[in-house]
Amino acid sequence: MKDIPHFALVLTVVACFSAGSLAWLNTITRPRIIAQQQQELDAGIMQVLPGSENGVIKAVENDGTVSFYKGYRNADSTSLIGYAFLIAPQGYSSNIRTIVGIDSSCSRVLSIKVLSQKETPGLGTKCEEIRSGETAPWFQEQFRNKPYADLILDKDGGTIESITGATITSRAIMLGVASRMELLRDELDIPNTMIN
Amino acid sequence: MTLTKEFLKGLYKENPVFRLMLGLCPVLATSTSVNNAIGMGSATLFVLLSSNIVVSLIRKAVPGKIRIPVFIIVIATFVTIVEMVMAGFFPALSKSLGNFISLIVVNCIILGRAEAFASKNSVFRSILDGLGMGLGFALAMIIIATFREILGNGTWLGIPVLGESFNPITIFILSPGAFLTIGYLIGFFNWFESRRLAGK
Repeated sequence: MKDIPHFALVLTVVACFSAGSLAWLNTITRPRIIAQQQQELDAGIMQVLPGSENGVIKAVENDGTVSFYKGYRNADSTSLIGYAFLIAPQGYSSNIRTIVGIDSSCSRVLSIKVLSQKETPGLGTKCEEIRSGETAPWFQEQFRNKPYADLILDKDGGTIESITGATITSRAIMLGVASRMELLRDELDIPNTMIN
Repeated sequence: MTLTKEFLKGLYKENPVFRLMLGLCPVLATSTSVNNAIGMGSATLFVLLSSNIVVSLIRKAVPGKIRIPVFIIVIATFVTIVEMVMAGFFPALSKSLGNFISLIVVNCIILGRAEAFASKNSVFRSILDGLGMGLGFALAMIIIATFREILGNGTWLGIPVLGESFNPITIFILSPGAFLTIGYLIGFFNWFESRRLAGK
């Protein structure tokens, strides 16, 4: 029993060293990581809203946080391409941060891009796999110009081919896109009848 | 044991994967492609080497009864360092490997070497042990990933090697393929070792 203070002291010293060095390292790496994420997000929004390269992107805030983005074809923001939003649905082992672009009537997906995920290596990670000879991830390409009503996996009788061995990942992304689209329609007051 | 032997033992005679059968979970999970194997192997090598050095340095100050928690803190710290530095300075590498790095914490080779070697030996010997074991682990990963990637995907390091007509045997990329490959390779090395000993 008399050893316990000694043990506690050793563990405390070790833990303090560990926490201290990580805290110091964090001050160096944190700003870089945040800057990279922002850069990645900006590039992602432009990528999922084709035609926005020469126009402008405007963030729409709701209660102080960015809710979604509006992308315009031109610099004076009169010609709307559509909307973009960030989703992070729970996959098999991580939140799959994905940026989604949809058309201005909120009825069709324009394109999606997975920004980060920590799914099962070799299975769920295939949501970002680029097959040889292709330039874009095949799973995400399936969402290009997909009408809202067609957001159904092959396993559920639809046309979106799911990733072999990673149905949970495939379904998470698909449902994430669909449910956020529904929410956005409410936010924009677009009646559901326009969709179906 | 001579210093050369201390280094070389990890490569074959006490290879962590094929001979000691340690750290099989990360091997199963991350040997799907040669690219992942190289990344995971080198990250593990770094953590193993660093934790061996620190554990050896503090071995006399740490009471035996609390050595395991102390080792775990040391290992987890180095894994977090790898993760943060990679994310901050090598975003591309971090993107392809981010999923695997945190798995290194639970790699029992690292705790195993801290417990069985570094806590009883000098810093210099611990460095040699860490280097040898780390390289042995990386090599084993690359060998397993070579079989799995070629058979399961028709590619090696992402380069198609088996031609268009080859129909990939997907199961080699999935978990059962990992068990099959590792099983056959361990069988091969056991057979090879028994032949070698019989020949002596």
